[in-house]
Amino acid sequence: MTDTLAAEWLKLRTARSTWYCLGGVALIVGLMALLAWYSAGAWDGLPPARRAAFALTPLPDLACWVANLVMGVLGVLAITSEYSTGMLRATLMVVPRRRTVLAAKAGVVGAVALVTGEAAGFATLAAGRLIIGDRPIQGQETHVGRIVTMGVLVMVFALIGLGVGTLLRSTAGAIVVVAGLWHIVPVLLQLLPEPWHDRIGSLMPGALVDEIAGTGGQHTIYGTGLPPAAAVMVMAAYIAVPLGAAGIALARRDVP
Amino acid sequence: MNELTKRYGDALAVDRLSFQVEPRCVTGFLGPNGAGKSTTMRVLLGLSAPTAGTALVNGRRYGDLRFPMREVGALLDAGAAHGGRTAFDHLRCLARTNRIGTARVAAVLEQVGLAGVGRKRIGGFSLGMRQRLGIAAALLGDPGVLMFDEPVNGLDPEGVRWIRELMRSLAAEGRTVLISSHLMSEMQLTADRLVVIGRGRLIADTTVRELAERFQRGVLVRTGRTPELARALEAAGASVVVEADGALAVKGLDPVRIGELAARHAIPVHEVTPRSASLEEAYMALTADSVEYGAAR
Repeated sequence: MTDTLAAEWLKLRTARSTWYCLGGVALIVGLMALLAWYSAGAWDGLPPARRAAFALTPLPDLACWVANLVMGVLGVLAITSEYSTGMLRATLMVVPRRRTVLAAKAGVVGAVALVTGEAAGFATLAAGRLIIGDRPIQGQETHVGRIVTMGVLVMVFALIGLGVGTLLRSTAGAIVVVAGLWHIVPVLLQLLPEPWHDRIGSLMPGALVDEIAGTGGQHTIYGTGLPPAAAVMVMAAYIAVPLGAAGIALARRDVP
Repeated sequence: MNELTKRYGDALAVDRLSFQVEPRCVTGFLGPNGAGKSTTMRVLLGLSAPTAGTALVNGRRYGDLRFPMREVGALLDAGAAHGGRTAFDHLRCLARTNRIGTARVAAVLEQVGLAGVGRKRIGGFSLGMRQRLGIAAALLGDPGVLMFDEPVNGLDPEGVRWIRELMRSLAAEGRTVLISSHLMSEMQLTADRLVVIGRGRLIADTTVRELAERFQRGVLVRTGRTPELARALEAAGASVVVEADGALAVKGLDPVRIGELAARHAIPVHEVTPRSASLEEAYMALTADSVEYGAAR
């Protein structure tokens, strides 16, 4: 297992797409800093009476929200690039224990996404603090537990990507599923009448952060119905179900 | 390979195939396109599950090998590499899984003649270079068993010759070498033994020499005293046919015995030519019934 982990780590590091994805997240953090700088300037220009009404979406939220999709794509590519190039044949010839290969991929992809997610959240927080300073702008309150959970959600998206990519064996198909879970389905769920929007919307990955951190969001498109423990279970299921199904499919199917 | 069967839906790709590949020689694995050669190799390597039967390497299932690269090296197709990686990194990723160091990676790149482009991305490689990279991957673990599926595809004449010599030297080192091909002419120059399959079934498991002899068409003899020699040969047990130009087509006696017989009867002989069918023809005759995708004749 350690040999396979080391090899998968080497693979991830030597693929250009990994660096594009990490570069994409870094770019978003940079954009967030730019947004903080712009907002601080705008806030300064407002007459004091209107400053109280000035609100800015929490910047770590935005950074992690984008990182969710980018790392989801990284997870997809970790396996679908092997299917599309035929590399998977070589991979499974040198390690015929297929579930070991999937577990090793999950290990390295999950670790990279977790570190990336936490880094994106906290780097954005730091940049925002540095630039906005002590201006009391609405929405820029710090909640550390929430940012930690957002970083974990980035990892969850990467592992969903890996699981779905293994099941569908197609880059485009898997990215559609990941993007659907990320934002498309939550937006469509808003069309449901209550209580159905809240019931189903509470189960969306994006809803879990506020549910776990106990920070009910007013500006959320998601539901807020789950207690923290249930939300943790749902998050675990988002990891276990796609990867479990992927493990079974990978072990049973002939390698194309 | 024992009673190996692989079915894809209704199509039977491999049908109760049994054979064994011996060490210290190059075994050619021959069959027309679609005969089941690649499928057989894929099952052996654990990439496809057999419908029935078993395929074992060194007496064990491939999936049970702890370090498969050290026992079996295989080239299935030249495509099995991520184009974005360099040749060196690609091999390093494979080697790491079986605890093979980077020194060995550099050594096999040297051996296959890719040392100069080890740091280049595989995406820019020609088919021939990819074949060499695939062979390098197969050699990484210094395995005793080597399998190559159509290794000469895409290689230039120099490359074809290189492969031929490489295969011969690998077998001379005591390794088991199996090469699949649909071209008899190639195997004739490289292989010692032949396993011929068609439509998933075993047609022949033989040596190159045996196959050539089996399809020998006798000896052509010319002499000024045709009837006399024909009588003498028939008396010695040969079957003799007089051909249109007066030559004798002799079966059942080898050229040495024919020469001795002629000398004993003091008949001057102008020509003695063994007429063996080319292996190509032998192969065509063997597989004529099993061509999956033949042109209409």
